[in-house]
Amino acid sequence: MTHRTLARLGRAYLGLILVFLYAPILVMAAMSFNASAFYQLPFSFSTEWYQKLWHNREILAAAWRSVWIACVVTVLATATGTAASIALYRHDIPGKRLLQALLFPPIAIPWLITGTAMLIFFFGIGIDRGTPAVILGHVALALPYVIVVVTARLATFDPALEEAARSLGARPWTVTMRVTVPWILPGIVAGGLFAFAVSFDQFVVSYFLSEPGDTTLPVLIYTSIRKGFTPEINAVSTVIIAVSMGVMLLAARYSKFGGDR
Amino acid sequence: MGGSLARKDRTRAALLLAPAYLWLTLAVFLPLSAMAFFSLLSDVPFGDREWHVTLDNYRAFLETGTYAALLWKSVKLGVTVTALSVLAGFPCALVLAKVIRGRAREAMFLLVILPFWSNSLVRIFSWAIVLRGNGVLSAAIDAVLPWDVRVNLMFSPTAIVIGLVHSYLPYVILTSYLALQAIDDSLIEAARALGAPRRTILMRIILPLAAPGIVAGAVLIFVPVVGSFMEPRLLGGRLGTYYGTVIEDQFVAVFNWPLGAALSFILLAVVLAILAAASPALRRALR
Amino acid sequence: MRKLLLTSALILAAQGASADEIRVLNWQGYGTDLDWALAAFTEQTGHTVVHEYFTSEQEMLTKLRTNPGAYDVVLINSAYTAQAQAEGLIAPIDTAKITNFADLDPGLTGNADLNPAGALHGVPWTWGLTSIAVNTNDFAELPTSLSVLWDPAWTGRVSIRDDGLEAVQFAAMATGQNINAITDMEAVKEKLAALMPQITTFWSSENDWNQFMSAGDFAVATYWSGSAARSQAAGLPVAFVVPEEGAIGWLDGLSIPASSTHQDAAHAFIDWMVDPEFYVKWEPDGAPATSNTKAAAALPETSFNRAVLGDPAVVAKVQFMQPVSDADREAYLKLWQDLKAAQ
Repeated sequence: MTHRTLARLGRAYLGLILVFLYAPILVMAAMSFNASAFYQLPFSFSTEWYQKLWHNREILAAAWRSVWIACVVTVLATATGTAASIALYRHDIPGKRLLQALLFPPIAIPWLITGTAMLIFFFGIGIDRGTPAVILGHVALALPYVIVVVTARLATFDPALEEAARSLGARPWTVTMRVTVPWILPGIVAGGLFAFAVSFDQFVVSYFLSEPGDTTLPVLIYTSIRKGFTPEINAVSTVIIAVSMGVMLLAARYSKFGGDR
Repeated sequence: MGGSLARKDRTRAALLLAPAYLWLTLAVFLPLSAMAFFSLLSDVPFGDREWHVTLDNYRAFLETGTYAALLWKSVKLGVTVTALSVLAGFPCALVLAKVIRGRAREAMFLLVILPFWSNSLVRIFSWAIVLRGNGVLSAAIDAVLPWDVRVNLMFSPTAIVIGLVHSYLPYVILTSYLALQAIDDSLIEAARALGAPRRTILMRIILPLAAPGIVAGAVLIFVPVVGSFMEPRLLGGRLGTYYGTVIEDQFVAVFNWPLGAALSFILLAVVLAILAAASPALRRALR
Repeated sequence: MRKLLLTSALILAAQGASADEIRVLNWQGYGTDLDWALAAFTEQTGHTVVHEYFTSEQEMLTKLRTNPGAYDVVLINSAYTAQAQAEGLIAPIDTAKITNFADLDPGLTGNADLNPAGALHGVPWTWGLTSIAVNTNDFAELPTSLSVLWDPAWTGRVSIRDDGLEAVQFAAMATGQNINAITDMEAVKEKLAALMPQITTFWSSENDWNQFMSAGDFAVATYWSGSAARSQAAGLPVAFVVPEEGAIGWLDGLSIPASSTHQDAAHAFIDWMVDPEFYVKWEPDGAPATSNTKAAAALPETSFNRAVLGDPAVVAKVQFMQPVSDADREAYLKLWQDLKAAQ
């Protein structure tokens, strides 16, 4: 086999994988435009489900809640995560390796375990279920992502710049805000977008922590799938997919994620 | 940097670190400790329910065999999904890293990674729509084949595996791609110039160098799949009882939180053991 | 950041402030969430209603336990009313606040299961049967025996609900036992083990059931009498069957959680739910049998409920569900969980 045929085969294979990844999503989106409430074929075009969606108070409230929770989480996780990244980068702290290792449990432990553990603990200390508990949990899950992304950006930062500012008499806070932060800003923005995506898409932890009538969109979708749904769920899913993919495209632009560096 | 840390610097560092680590303590580490305590209780300390400290929940795991069997079933599911994802994902990463060049590569890479950041629940729901008896897959195959077929993959272990591979495939593509990208092309060129056959280059150069990336991807897939409950629940039908769904039931329906906590802890032990076993490779991959 | 938190706090406060919004916990698509009924209720009283659904009585009880204050009205099968009362989850009903109470069938309001600790804890709302329904495209002739669930011809096209108690009761009927006094658990276990390979998936709501039935996934499945009427009304090829072995009878009551902070609105909602006007309007959609004697008298002779539930031959076969002891319930759940796990 020549190198050429092999390359062509490889491209075809990549195409197949893309079909596998996108086909179900496209089918699901197409069904949001099908008139039948029971998903019956043949296909007959209708925007009925989007119109219904627009008047569905429950879904809209959940969507709005998902968005503002994600915004709050983004702000909190980005602020605390960036601060921690700068400290880890700038100071040779005793136990640094341990501190870095501690970032992994939220990523590495299955969310089922983290979520149920949070439920037990928050229940025990009286925070109870509800939006504050959801935000607490989401920030913890998003923090490691922010720290990893911001730290990666910090690695490209020349400490001599801080030295220079300091030797010119700038106070530490000024150095941080005027020299360090502007340089790592793209990393902070990317970290923030990751935090948004983690929170906006988070299902498991929200599922255990949210309160009846106060659910986020993914939880509402899960309960709907289990307890009866109409293509309205397809419609709202299509919207979510569009939003989260849009956010990630933005994040990719800022972090040059995976491109040729 | 480096050198001894001045007291002032130390305070500053502590102030910067405190919010993040206090947060993690409150939302992750204390809850895990609380769960350890709960797993030793006889009933939920709720209202006027009677409770005492006991090892019964762990004993239930050892004695009935049901839970152990389910854990084994979930581990097997994890192995299947991981193996299929690696087999399908590695060649894909190889094509991305070594065949496609320039802007096309960046675009393709983004295309592959994007679904990974879209809602997993929505994607599982998509498969539920696709796999249904009178669903689109069936209609598509029916249109191609001349005879009447009835494809119904829904509510089978196959459906669960398809849904999970779809959810986690991008992980292994991502990690393998990062490892493959780090391999210097001139190394491969040199081997080729010396007359090494393609097979040898793959087995002796590419695979060993990409191994940490593959292992990292495999762990990132295996861990969540062992604890999955939503996917089996939505795609598995009557065959959808797994270790994760039983834990979910303890918390959501049966109200036996202590048993749920004990089962979660056993799962955690399994996951930690696997992470520990894979940690040398993980460390290399993340460096 | 402070501004953002402040805004968040304001949103939270605004959500808590609408005092006349009540939350109802019920099966999905089961009467209380009908659009027209809610619109009429809101118009009459000014109260608005939101819903939350459950897929099993177990889940319903856990939702009540872990979310005190979250619900104002909950639908409880009379076989579970006593358990909910014993756990302190529901409060006695103030019948003076229910203007339609005098019209309710005294046989039902006096039902012992609804009156734990000597006080009414659930307003009888509807009753009906759990039996089987078949896809008439598959069955030229309707089956007469429960054994159709075990018929190899329908392997992979059978469904039941994921509910240990109900599964055990069906197996008990199929083995000729009394569902409230099961003596031969071995036979039940064997029968259920044989049923498992027949099942395609478990159904969890009426909407679910309809989608699977219209997709052809189900040929025969357990179902509720009222729901079968609704599915027929929706145009699905469905027939409800009461086999010779019998059917499970149930009585559903509407209860008010002890922790509800909208007791008056909750009573007003229940009052509307037992109003003859509501029942009569619900009937064409396919309603279960009413507890209101005036409403029953107003229904047409040809109605599904009169045809099925009014037939003495059917009524003679019905076994009404009674409360299950804790020990029995745990044994049933364990049996069911083990069976599912063994699949």
